[in-house]
Amino acid sequence: MKPVAIVGIDCRFPGAPDAGAYWDMLMRSGDGVDKVPGQRWNAREFHSPTGEDGHSNTTEGGFISDPDAFDNEFFTVSPREAAAMDPQQRLLLQCAWRAVEDSGVAPQRLAGTDTGVFVGIMGNEWAQLHMTDYARVTAQLGSGNGYCMTANRISYHLDLKGPSLAVDTACSSSLVAVHLACNALLAEECDTAIAAGVNVALTPALGIFYTQAGLSSPDGRCKPFSADADGIGRGEGVGAVVLRRLEDAIADGQQVYAVIRGTAVNQDGRSNGITAPNRWSQQEVVAAAYRRAGVEPSEVAFTEAHGTGTVLGDMIEVKALGHLHSGRSGRPMAIGSVKGNIGHAEGAAGIAGLIKVALSLHHKVVPASRFAAKENPALKLAKQGLRLLKAPLRLRSGPTIGGLSSFGMGGTNAHALLESAPAHAVRPEAGDPESGHTDSGAAGLGTGVFTLTAPSLEALRRNLLVQADAVQRRRTPVGPLCWSSNRAKTGHRHRFALPAADTGELAAGLREAAADDDLLARLSDRPAGKPRVALLFTGQGSQYPAMTARLYRQSPLYRRFLDEADTALAPHTGGSVREKLLSGDEAVHRTGWTQPALFAVEYALAASLTELGVRPALLLGHSVGEYAAAVLAGVFPLQDAARLITARGALMEELPEGGGMLAVRAPLTELTELVDTEPLVGVGAVNGPQATVLSGDLAALERIEDELRGRGVKTRRLEVSHAFHSPLMTPMLDRFAALADEIGGGVPTLPVYSTLRGRLLEAEPMDAKYWTEHISAPVLFGDAMTRLLEAGPTHLVEVGPRPVLTRMARTLRTVAGEGVHTVAPVPDEEADGRAFAEAVAALFRGGVDPNWDKAYPEEERVAQRLVPYAFSDTQRFWTRTPVRAVAPADLGVVTDDAAHTVRPYAQKQSAASGHGAVRTAVLPSAGEDQAADPVARAVIEAVAEVGGYAPDEVSALSLLYEDLGFDSVMVMELKDRIQERLSGLEEISVQDLLPRLSSVGDLVGYLQDRTDSAVA
Amino acid sequence: MQSPEQASSPSVAHLAGVGTALPGDPVDNAMLARTLGVNEEWIDVFIGTRTRHFARDLVSGEVRWSLADLCARAGEQALTASGLAPDEIDFVVMGTATPDHLMPATVNHVADQLGLDQIPTYQLQSGCAGAVQALELGRTLVTGGGHRAGLVIGGDVCSKHLDLDRDLSGAAPSDLVNYVLFGDGAGAAVVTSEARGERLALRGVLNRFTGLGREPGQVIDWFGLADRYDDRQAVREDYKAIEESVPVMAVEILWELLEDLDWSPEQVDFLLPPQLSGRMTRRITEQLDLPDAVEVSCVADTGNNGNALPFLQLEGLLEKIGPGQRALAVAVESSKWIKSGFALEKI
Repeated sequence: MKPVAIVGIDCRFPGAPDAGAYWDMLMRSGDGVDKVPGQRWNAREFHSPTGEDGHSNTTEGGFISDPDAFDNEFFTVSPREAAAMDPQQRLLLQCAWRAVEDSGVAPQRLAGTDTGVFVGIMGNEWAQLHMTDYARVTAQLGSGNGYCMTANRISYHLDLKGPSLAVDTACSSSLVAVHLACNALLAEECDTAIAAGVNVALTPALGIFYTQAGLSSPDGRCKPFSADADGIGRGEGVGAVVLRRLEDAIADGQQVYAVIRGTAVNQDGRSNGITAPNRWSQQEVVAAAYRRAGVEPSEVAFTEAHGTGTVLGDMIEVKALGHLHSGRSGRPMAIGSVKGNIGHAEGAAGIAGLIKVALSLHHKVVPASRFAAKENPALKLAKQGLRLLKAPLRLRSGPTIGGLSSFGMGGTNAHALLESAPAHAVRPEAGDPESGHTDSGAAGLGTGVFTLTAPSLEALRRNLLVQADAVQRRRTPVGPLCWSSNRAKTGHRHRFALPAADTGELAAGLREAAADDDLLARLSDRPAGKPRVALLFTGQGSQYPAMTARLYRQSPLYRRFLDEADTALAPHTGGSVREKLLSGDEAVHRTGWTQPALFAVEYALAASLTELGVRPALLLGHSVGEYAAAVLAGVFPLQDAARLITARGALMEELPEGGGMLAVRAPLTELTELVDTEPLVGVGAVNGPQATVLSGDLAALERIEDELRGRGVKTRRLEVSHAFHSPLMTPMLDRFAALADEIGGGVPTLPVYSTLRGRLLEAEPMDAKYWTEHISAPVLFGDAMTRLLEAGPTHLVEVGPRPVLTRMARTLRTVAGEGVHTVAPVPDEEADGRAFAEAVAALFRGGVDPNWDKAYPEEERVAQRLVPYAFSDTQRFWTRTPVRAVAPADLGVVTDDAAHTVRPYAQKQSAASGHGAVRTAVLPSAGEDQAADPVARAVIEAVAEVGGYAPDEVSALSLLYEDLGFDSVMVMELKDRIQERLSGLEEISVQDLLPRLSSVGDLVGYLQDRTDSAVA
Repeated sequence: MQSPEQASSPSVAHLAGVGTALPGDPVDNAMLARTLGVNEEWIDVFIGTRTRHFARDLVSGEVRWSLADLCARAGEQALTASGLAPDEIDFVVMGTATPDHLMPATVNHVADQLGLDQIPTYQLQSGCAGAVQALELGRTLVTGGGHRAGLVIGGDVCSKHLDLDRDLSGAAPSDLVNYVLFGDGAGAAVVTSEARGERLALRGVLNRFTGLGREPGQVIDWFGLADRYDDRQAVREDYKAIEESVPVMAVEILWELLEDLDWSPEQVDFLLPPQLSGRMTRRITEQLDLPDAVEVSCVADTGNNGNALPFLQLEGLLEKIGPGQRALAVAVESSKWIKSGFALEKI
C-alpha cells in the first residue's frame, strides 16, 4: 500500500495528560495505575480478593486525570448539553482539536474539507448509566450518547465533511479505526483523516467481568510477558492522530512522526470459543500486514504487542509472532507493550500502541517494557526469534520498521507496520521541484511575528503562558517557530501578535503580555468585522538621508521591491536611488532625487504589503505620493511611472530657486484674499480646515507671513527647494506635458482618493492631463482624506518614510473616522525589519490575514511543532454520583454538589459553582462512626497534630503522603504521638508502621488489629 | 539501550590493580546523631547507612585531608597493587563532583603528589557516574593504540557542605538527609591494554545521558565572591524522583549490559549495585533480581562518597572474584539522570 504519514498526535493516558508526558512516562517506565478514583465507583464495595460473584478482585486500574474537565465555551456547547454528553465525546473533541493543531494546521482551515473522522470505541457506560432512567431522557442526553456521536461530534464542531464513523471491534477498535482511515485516504475519500480511540471507565462492570472470567490481575496491572503476569488491569485513555497520504504531507511541508506502511484486519471466524484468542488468525493478520507493506519479518526491528499480560494470551501472541520470526536472521525482534504502564485501555488500546510506536520511531528509541525484567521463561522468547524490551532499544539512524498488534475479544484482529519518517519529510529540499515548492522571489520581513488566537481574553492569557513555557524549555530557531504559529494558531476572535527576534525575548514577551492587561490590550485585538485597509502615500518633506536603509538591509522582501524600483528608475535618474539611500546621501533633499527616492520607497513598501496579502481597499497619495499609489492602482506600469516621476523631479530642479512654502494655521477662506494680492503665490495644499500651505516666490511669502504674524496666525516655513504647486512651476509644464502624453495613464482599478480633486476618482483616468494639472494645482489632502475616512477604513497605513499623513488625518477624524487604527511600517528614521514586522502584526491583530509565507525567507519556512491549544479545565461535568454496590436511589442526572471524591482537587475548580451541573469536590471529612472509635479518634488527632490540620480535615480516606504531605520525619513523630495516645498498645516500630501508611483508614485498621490482639 | 555490535577482544582494556582511601575513623550513627542533633533511629530506618568517613574532623571542624590527598593515596595503592612502575603510567583520568579548587584541576595535584609529569591528565566533572566515565575514557585511551597504561581515579569530599554549626532538630528530611547520607573517600584503578596484575578484563562500559527535559534529581551548587552570601541550599535533592527513577534505571542498565555482552543473568557471579544509601541499595538490589550473583556493596559502611564508590566496590570484588568469573556494576547519577555501568571478567 502507499504510505500514510502520521502528522499530528494528541493523547491523554493514565499518568500522562498529553503526548509529551506520555513519552516521558514510557521512557521512565512509569506506572500510570492507581486506586479507582472515588468519582467513578466505590471500589471497596465491589472488591473481593477472592473474586466473589458481582465483585472485582482489584481496587486499582489505569485512570486518566480530569475526565470531567471540558471547555464547553470553546466549542460553544451549553453547560446543560455538556453535562449530558458522554465524557468520551468531550475528551475526543479536545483531543482531536489538539492533534490537528499538532499537525501544523489551524483546525479552522479544515472546515468544509472532506477530512474524515474514524473513532475506535467500545465503552458505552455513560449511556448505560443515563439512558436507562427513561423518565429523565432528554434531548441533550440523546445526542450526548452513542458511539456514532463521538465521531460525528468532531465532524460537526470542526465542520468536516468526509466520512465520519465509530468502530467497535472490542479491544482492537482504535487500530481498526486507523486501518479504515488509511484505506479512506488511499481511496481518496478524504485528504486528511483523524483516527482516534477513547475509553473511560465509569462502572466496575468490566472489571467484574474480567474477574469472573479469571482474567483480572489482583493488583490492577497488566504485566506483559512477565513471569508475574496474572491478568488484565483496566486502563483508560483518549488519543488521536492526524493522517495524510505521505506525498501530501511532504508537499505541504508538514512534519511527519512516522509512516504507516501497511495495515491488516481479520477475524478468528468460528474458532475455539468466541472470546478465545486464536493463534492462527493472529499470525495471519500479522503476515497480511507484512505482505501489504512489502516487508520481510527480519526487517521488523520491534513490535508493540497486544500484550495483555494473561498467561494464555501472552503465550498465543508469542507463538503467532514466533511463526513469522523464529527463522529470522540477525537479532531477535524486540517486543513490549504499553499495557504495563497504563493498563489495558480497551477501545483506546490500539491508539495507545500506535502513538507509542510512532513516538518511538520519531525519537529513535523504543522504551523498555514495564515488568520485562522478569521475563516469563515458559514463553521461550529466544526460540521464537523474539526478545523482551528490558532496556530501551536505540534505533539505528535510517529507516526502521516497527509493528503493532491489537486484538479484539470477539476475534477481530488488527496489525499495523510503521516506518520511521523519510529524512526528506522533515525538511523539503530548497529549490527541489519535486517538493512542489516554487520560489516566487525573496521573502521575509527581517523579524518573525509570533501569533496566537483564542476565543476569549482569559483563554488567550492561558495559552500565552503555555506557549511561553514551551518556548523557554528548548532552544529553537525563532523564525520557523513564528511561521508555524502563523499557520497553526489562527482562527479565533482574539488575535495576538508579537514580533520576536529570538526565543528568549519571545518567551519573556509572551509572559509579560499574559501578566499585564494593558500590554495585552496593545498586543491583541478583537476585530468586529472585515478589515478595510487604506494606504496613505506620503509626499515631499518626509524624506531624509538613508531612509529605510535598515529595513532594506534586514528585509529580503522589501529589498526585492526597492531593487525593482531602482532598476526601473536607473535609466532615467542617471544613478542609483538605492545607492543614494544606502550611503545616506544628503542629495535626497534635492527635489530631482527626492521625488524618485520617495517614489521608490513608497512603491517598495506598498508592493511588500501587497505581497504580504494586505489588500488595500482605499488609496490616497499626497502630491508626489500619488505616483506610487497610481502604480498600485494599475494606472501605469512601474517603468512608466519611474520615467515620469524622474522627469518631474528633474524639471522642477531645473527651475530657478527662490521659491518656498509656508504652512499656515488657518482655513483657506481666511487666506484667499492675501493670496490674491500676490501673483507669484498660490495655494500649495489644503491639508485640513486649519492647515493651509501657501507656495510661491520667497519675497512674496515673507510679506504674507508678516501680515499673518501681525494677525496672530501661526506660520511655519517648510524646508523645500522649490515652490511646489505654485505659479512658479509654470515654466516646466509644457515639457512635462509632452512626456506625460507619451506615457498616458488609465483609470485606477482600486479606489483612489485624489488629492488633486479632493475626492474619490470615479472612472476618471489619471492621464497626462491629470498629472500636468497635478503639478501646480493645490493638494486637496483635507478633502480627499475626509472623503476617505467617510468610506470607513479600519486601518490607515502610512506608506512613506515617516508617519505624516496618518498624523494629519487624526485632526480630520470625525465620528466616521473613530476607532481607525494607524499603522506605520516605517515609524522613524531608525526603523528596521522589526518595525515593519510590528506593522504587519498590527494589521493581523486588526483582522488582516497576511500571506505569512512572504514574511519569512524560505529557510525559515520550516514547520515546528507548537504546544497545542490549552483548554480550560475549570468547567467540570460529572452529573451523577459514583456507582454504589447497593441499588442507588437515583441513577439519573443529578446536579447536587455533594462530594464523593477522595482526592482534593477543588483548587482547580474555582469557576465551577455557576453551573448547576458542576460538582465541586472537597476534602472528605471524618465520618461519625470513625469519630466514635477511640483508636480512630486517636489516630486522626495524632495525624492532625503532626500535619498541622484541624481534626475534621483528616478522614479515613485521606492519604498520608499524597493528601496530607507527610514525610519520613513526620512519620517518626506520628509514631510517638500514637504511642502516647494509645496506652494499651504494645511498642510499635517504624518498620511495622511503614507498610500501613497509605491512608489514615489503613493505619486505623492496622492499629485496631494490634490493640485487639493486645487485649485478647 | 542496546546497540548491535559487541566490543571485539582486541579493544578490551584491563584493570591491573585497585586502591582506595577513606579519611580517618568511621563515624557511626550515634556519634552523628550526637553531633548534629539528628534522630538516630531515623538514620537507621530511612537511610540505612551505619558508618561513614569525613575528611573534616567532626568535633573541631578542622579539614584534615584534601580531595587530592585522598586521591593520591588511592592512586598510590592502586599502582602498588598493579605491580606497574609509576613511569609506566601514560595518563591520569579523574572523575569528581567536588574538586578542591575549580583551578587547578585536582587531578594535577594528584599527579604532582604521585610524582607523575609530562603526561596527559583529564578531570571529568561528574557525580556518581564520573568513575565510570573515567573508566570509559581510560579504556578508550589504552585501546586506541596510543597508550598502554593509565591511572583512573574517582573521589569526592562531601564534607565541604557539612555545616557543623547548624541546629538540625527542626530540619526537613530533604535537608537532613544531606548530613547523614554522604561521606568522603577516593578510589583508583590502573587500566592497562594487556592483562596484568589483577587481570580483570573490562568487557563493557555504559555511559549515557538520559535527562533530556528532566529536572535534575540532585544539585550541588557552588558559590563565588558575588553570590557567596546568597541564601540557597548548597546541596539539593529530589528524593521522590530518585526513589522512583533510580531502581528502574538500574534494571535497564543491567539488562542493556547483559544483552550487549550476550550474557545471561545466571552467568553473572558478582553484582556491584548502585550505592545510594544502605536502604536504597538494598531495595535496588532486590529489583535487579540476580539471585545467583553475590552482591558487593560498601555504602552502609562508607557512606555515599560519590565517585569513590565503584572503586570501593571493586576492591571488595577483588577479594572474592576468581578466574573465569564475571561481575557487573551498575551506577546511576541522578543529577541529570546518567545511566552508567560496566562489566568485568577475571582472566
